[in-house]
Amino acid sequence: MTRTFLTMVKGVLCVAAIAGCVATVSGPGMDVDVYPPAAFIATATPAYYEGRPVYWWGNRWYYRDGAAWRAYREEPPYLRDYRAHRPPERKFYGRAHEGGYHRG
Amino acid sequence: MDSRASLAMIAGAGLALCLPGPATGVSQSADPPYDDDASSEVREHHRHHHHGGIVQFIAMALDTLGADDSKRPRIEKIQGDLRGCMAPAGRAEKSLHLALADGVAAGAVDDAKVAPILAQLEADANAVHDCSAKALNELHATLSPAERSALVDKLQAHWEVWAEVNDAIPGGREPGGRLTELRKELNLSADQTDRISAALHSSLVATSRKFDRKKAEAHVRTFSAAFAADTFDARADAANTAADLTAHGARRMALFYETVTPFLSPEQRAILAEHLREHSRHQPTASAQ
Repeated sequence: MTRTFLTMVKGVLCVAAIAGCVATVSGPGMDVDVYPPAAFIATATPAYYEGRPVYWWGNRWYYRDGAAWRAYREEPPYLRDYRAHRPPERKFYGRAHEGGYHRG
Repeated sequence: MDSRASLAMIAGAGLALCLPGPATGVSQSADPPYDDDASSEVREHHRHHHHGGIVQFIAMALDTLGADDSKRPRIEKIQGDLRGCMAPAGRAEKSLHLALADGVAAGAVDDAKVAPILAQLEADANAVHDCSAKALNELHATLSPAERSALVDKLQAHWEVWAEVNDAIPGGREPGGRLTELRKELNLSADQTDRISAALHSSLVATSRKFDRKKAEAHVRTFSAAFAADTFDARADAANTAADLTAHGARRMALFYETVTPFLSPEQRAILAEHLREHSRHQPTASAQ
């Protein structure tokens, strides 16, 4: 009885693990729990790829998918080439960069 | 292998398969930039510049939209039109910075000088909503769906940053917070920091309670959904939160300086007054007509 139960649990775990991975990495990107913070999105210039804005942050390309953020598991060749020719740009709102103010 | 070990192996293998590997590509840096100079500076900007609510966030979003180069002249013209709508409020904001700087330098902020400027700023910000409708419609017609999506992401990001710094716990000492930054800027002693924190908690709490964050959040959400759609008419946007956001942010800023000034030495006040004068010179709307 116990052996049968454990066999069933193992089977369920295998199916769940595979299904979970498929759900996570299928398609162009994967769901992520950690994504670019608001202050980064507010100051970073995106690239455009597959009809959406994408952001290079923490060595990955991220994009919003509805309410969630996703990341490309592998860097698409187009974006790798884009990054090589056009380094990601940030906007600095301080004096040191455009005659405004500075922080101490 | 016993049953527990095989269960652990299955779970471990499943987890390992699901964890993301590093993206392939060129340069690798150590940590994601949660808090870098650009992030700190945009927070500092949103602490001190309040003159248009959502329209201000949209005008700033255009700084980093990265839209198609062929659209750049048209987008810059629209950004100029939006800044033009905010110019009267920008001038009032500049007066506020200078009045606060004078007060800080003198050792006491004069509420009789500041109150009418705050009232003028709120009135000028209230007019931004109607003034900007035509430019916002032109912007919608100019941008592709992907560019509109980026604009909405940025609008929401600016709102989140604004809310983080203007609806923070009064007198809080969180990393990156106003008091933490002030302590670094002015080399405040532990005793000064304690007394200022307590005073800010008392003075700002009433202002914080008056601010209707949910109303502003709902406006950002409904505007974002409308702007992302294929058809859009800014004149149909019945909500006008520009005055609410501007009044709350500016009042909170004024109260902050009014509260901290009595606890500072003359040298610290001179440094802080100069910081405010620097903010008064950082006016993207000042050159707009």
